[in-house]
Amino acid sequence: MDDIAITFNFVSKKYGLKRGWSFANIGNEIRRLGQQLVLRDTAPREYFWALKDVSFEIRRGETVGLIGANGAGKSTLLKILSRITSPSSGRFEVKGRLGALIEVGAGFHPELTGRENVYLNGAIMGMRKDEIDSKFNRIIDFSEIGQFLDTPTKHYSSGMEVRLGFAVAAHVDPDVLLVDEVLAVGDAAFQAKCLNKLAELKSQDRTIVLVSHNLANIVQHCDRVLWIDHGTLRASGDPDDVVEEYLRTVSTLPMAIHKGKSALNGGKKESSRIISVCIKNARGETTDLVEYGAETTIEIEYCSDDSELDPVVCVTFQDVQGYNLGGLTSRFGGLKLEARGTSGTARLILSPVLFTRGVYSVSVSLLDSQLQKFLDVFPAACYLVVEGPSAATGQISGHVIFPHRWEIVDGCSLSSAHTCNRVLIETM
Amino acid sequence: MNYLRELREYSHLIVSFARRDIRARYKQTALGIAWAILQPFSLMVVFTLVFSRLAQIPSDGVPYPIFVYSSLIFWTYFATSVSQGTVAMTANATLVRKIYFPRETLLVAVFLAAGLDLLIAFSILLLLFIYFQYALTWTVLWVLPLLLTQLLFTSAVICLTSAIHVYFRDIGHALQLGLQLWFYATPVAYPVSVVSQKLKPLYFLNPMASIIDGYRRSLLHGDVPDFEVVGAWLLIAFILAGVAYIVFKKAEATFADVI
Repeated sequence: MDDIAITFNFVSKKYGLKRGWSFANIGNEIRRLGQQLVLRDTAPREYFWALKDVSFEIRRGETVGLIGANGAGKSTLLKILSRITSPSSGRFEVKGRLGALIEVGAGFHPELTGRENVYLNGAIMGMRKDEIDSKFNRIIDFSEIGQFLDTPTKHYSSGMEVRLGFAVAAHVDPDVLLVDEVLAVGDAAFQAKCLNKLAELKSQDRTIVLVSHNLANIVQHCDRVLWIDHGTLRASGDPDDVVEEYLRTVSTLPMAIHKGKSALNGGKKESSRIISVCIKNARGETTDLVEYGAETTIEIEYCSDDSELDPVVCVTFQDVQGYNLGGLTSRFGGLKLEARGTSGTARLILSPVLFTRGVYSVSVSLLDSQLQKFLDVFPAACYLVVEGPSAATGQISGHVIFPHRWEIVDGCSLSSAHTCNRVLIETM
Repeated sequence: MNYLRELREYSHLIVSFARRDIRARYKQTALGIAWAILQPFSLMVVFTLVFSRLAQIPSDGVPYPIFVYSSLIFWTYFATSVSQGTVAMTANATLVRKIYFPRETLLVAVFLAAGLDLLIAFSILLLLFIYFQYALTWTVLWVLPLLLTQLLFTSAVICLTSAIHVYFRDIGHALQLGLQLWFYATPVAYPVSVVSQKLKPLYFLNPMASIIDGYRRSLLHGDVPDFEVVGAWLLIAFILAGVAYIVFKKAEATFADVI
């Protein structure tokens, strides 16, 4: 068919786990080579299959999201797609010019000025000189680096460098665009610009492959989602369905009740540690599925060393990327643990849960009374799978819905709103 | 052939890389591009003092400064291209790891960047000719096929060494040593006439020996190099470069995994 932009046909990629020839194990290697020559059939070196028999097609003009846990093979797939590395077996085809928003600014030379680097980076991404000439002003406007155009990039802030890199990459005008996590760069205003650029490319019927840990972004922008799991294509289809399935798998991986494997003390009995963590819904049932707006309890069973006076339990919530969304301690809640003796169960009651739809990991730690020393940590002790309003609708964003209401006040013009603002700043 | 077609599409990138290399080399230096003159010139002075005055090396009746300078600049072009070309992949590791482009563009850029130095140094040679009141003859045109042979031969070397350097950094160390030995096995600081007749067949197995001797004959002696010898080396260099290029392109596919 003519309108297929990307074809993957049983593509596999393996990596050798051990470095082969070196002075230290040259003997082993020679023996292995000898065996191979004589026997023709020996145990091969240990391999890791980053991708195994992955096949799919992407139509022209489609925006496809790529999801999967860290190390599932997303990056390897992108590397093969962008021809940085070649597959160990299988065939793939990309029609048209390919552009990649992976690692923007990788081609910058610190001694060269911003202007020189625009030309260099443009050339690395496959643009001709006249093409860069004609787009130069737009690139500079987009990057917002303004007066620093003729300053060597070694003096740039990292934000400026990323912006300039993205600006060049965004103007390559490829037929197929690969986007890897770059929507996470820059401030809010720049991110908005990037999303607009993406929407613009989408409207021009470009094929876009988007990799992001931000599932809301994926659902919002993609026509289809591919789910890569342990190097294979686990699912492909409607973004809502695939993301839903993905979230369920992620959340059912660990059990609902989690026995503590102390990360600090190696599970020594006598030390202070977290024994188990579990989530209970309003009816007191152990679960990890909770509803937005419902009451939810996190139960932490712990024991503490006699010598440890007044330990503190700390619970933090992270999104799938591992960003901290907020943490609470028993100290802040005014709870004293020492009164209960050396062991007990602390309960953190969220009333209600304010997270948007998605999966959040709950990390628990035990600190000394000074909040200085970790007595035990239990990263990603369990997962909170929240049902409710989704950021993918675009009506809300981020991970938290604040308790709020909207109002319209008559007779408040824009100019008076301005003065309100200014008064507020002055009083601060 | 597909390789070459793609390489041509990226010709703008080659120029950009070369410009980057040249700019970066002379950025934040007070003398800037003058170093391109200063370096071979001061080497010439040192060589004249050591080899001509102290060691009394003959120079076939040519003033020793021109004698050594005329071959030194071409040798420097070879040595610089080889040592910079070998590390071209690893020096640009972040690029190789992140972005696709034909990797040999980095090698061609090395030739261009070092070529600028050669051009500047060559113009100084012309000034030396005037100073020593030495006449050029039409045989100077022989420099072109010789330079082509040298380029092809250097390409063959760096296609292999740069690919090997991705896997084994050993070659970087070995090469510095190798280039020094190679320098003494090549008639840069001394004339071919001091090499004993018995050794000569072995001596001229070194392609750089024939090439450097050829430059000297055509530039200084108004002599025509052996047509058969130059032709044979040109053919051999062409084949070697072709084979090395194919090997390089095969290895290129996994550079990003190893580098």
